[in-house]
Amino acid sequence: MARTATTTVSFSLSSSDLLSSSLNISANKELKRAGSKLGLSQTTGLAIKTTSYASAGVIDSTVLFRGDDYTADGANKVYLKNLSSITSEYFTVYLTGSGGTDGGGVTEIGRLYAGDFAFFPWNATGGTKETFIATIANTWAAGDTWEFDGIEITAADSTVANIATLIDECQFPNWVTSRSTAAVTFVARYAQDAGTVATATADITVVTAGDGDSVVSSSTLGTKSLSDIYIKPSVHTEMSLEHMLIHE
Amino acid sequence: MATTTATLTLTSPDVTGHSFNMTQVATLTKAASSTGLDEFTGITSRKYASAQTDTVIVADSIYADTTVAHKVYIRNTSTGSSDHILVELEGNIIIGRLYPGDWMFIPYGGTLDVQVTTTATNVSIEYGVFSQSVAS
Repeated sequence: MARTATTTVSFSLSSSDLLSSSLNISANKELKRAGSKLGLSQTTGLAIKTTSYASAGVIDSTVLFRGDDYTADGANKVYLKNLSSITSEYFTVYLTGSGGTDGGGVTEIGRLYAGDFAFFPWNATGGTKETFIATIANTWAAGDTWEFDGIEITAADSTVANIATLIDECQFPNWVTSRSTAAVTFVARYAQDAGTVATATADITVVTAGDGDSVVSSSTLGTKSLSDIYIKPSVHTEMSLEHMLIHE
Repeated sequence: MATTTATLTLTSPDVTGHSFNMTQVATLTKAASSTGLDEFTGITSRKYASAQTDTVIVADSIYADTTVAHKVYIRNTSTGSSDHILVELEGNIIIGRLYPGDWMFIPYGGTLDVQVTTTATNVSIEYGVFSQSVAS
């Protein structure tokens, strides 16, 4: 049975002196899945990300949430809060998006200054993940090795399907795999635009006593995710951001 | 100086393995300052008779940018469960979908329009901007 949860979010905006009469705006909502009466049931939990850099010149952004990791086009909700108490310190919040107005293909939503929070829906639109097929071919022997993505396997025998099975059973840091006979399909864990060069046969190292090979075919280039959320601190000294994702 | 307070409360008995209850309060101030935001558009309420495509609800041209702490509030005031509003920044930078009753409150840099796209008819929305008159 699908897990469900009841999460209620309430919001109010109030001021006694911004206008000539008092201002009170309030909104309440039980968080539901897209187009459904079922509640959002998954969450990252409430967490804190602390940033710190050696100097102002090396401040960089951090990916807070990757679109690839979550269901796209849903009713995901993001909560962010800058925990700093120094008024000048802020986190800039970015989306990767299809274009990018802030260099490197990101677009600024806005700045969260000390104590500011944000709560917003998140589309989690991932990109296309690069794929390729590596086919174990020709003559292999026990003791031959195959290496890719920092993972090496040693053939237990000369059967190409068995070697492919060994490869498929590996846990690659940047790829997931599936197998059909001697062909192993690799799919990148994360979408990225790798440019014009897809993974090629030469990227795999084979050490074989015979003419064993690992032929790459059906390479498909990836495209970048369109919804990754990045944050970037304004100072290199320690800053902390509280965050939570409630998602489909 | 105006004092505007935003309060967020999130509660759930079961979204995690334990009961969860969080309340956050923020006073809306200008960038890098303890002075309150001094502008507010008021809350605009619209009901779109037809589907909308990239309809501008917040135009960047009328706001200071660069060093600002503007805030945008948007709510889908439609009823039902499926008539969502897609909220984007200019250039098809998609933020997310507001389903009926959903709301959002985000910092706004004032450099891009905020737009909405809908597919259903008679979708209702309310929105407003709290802003600073000049950049800090």
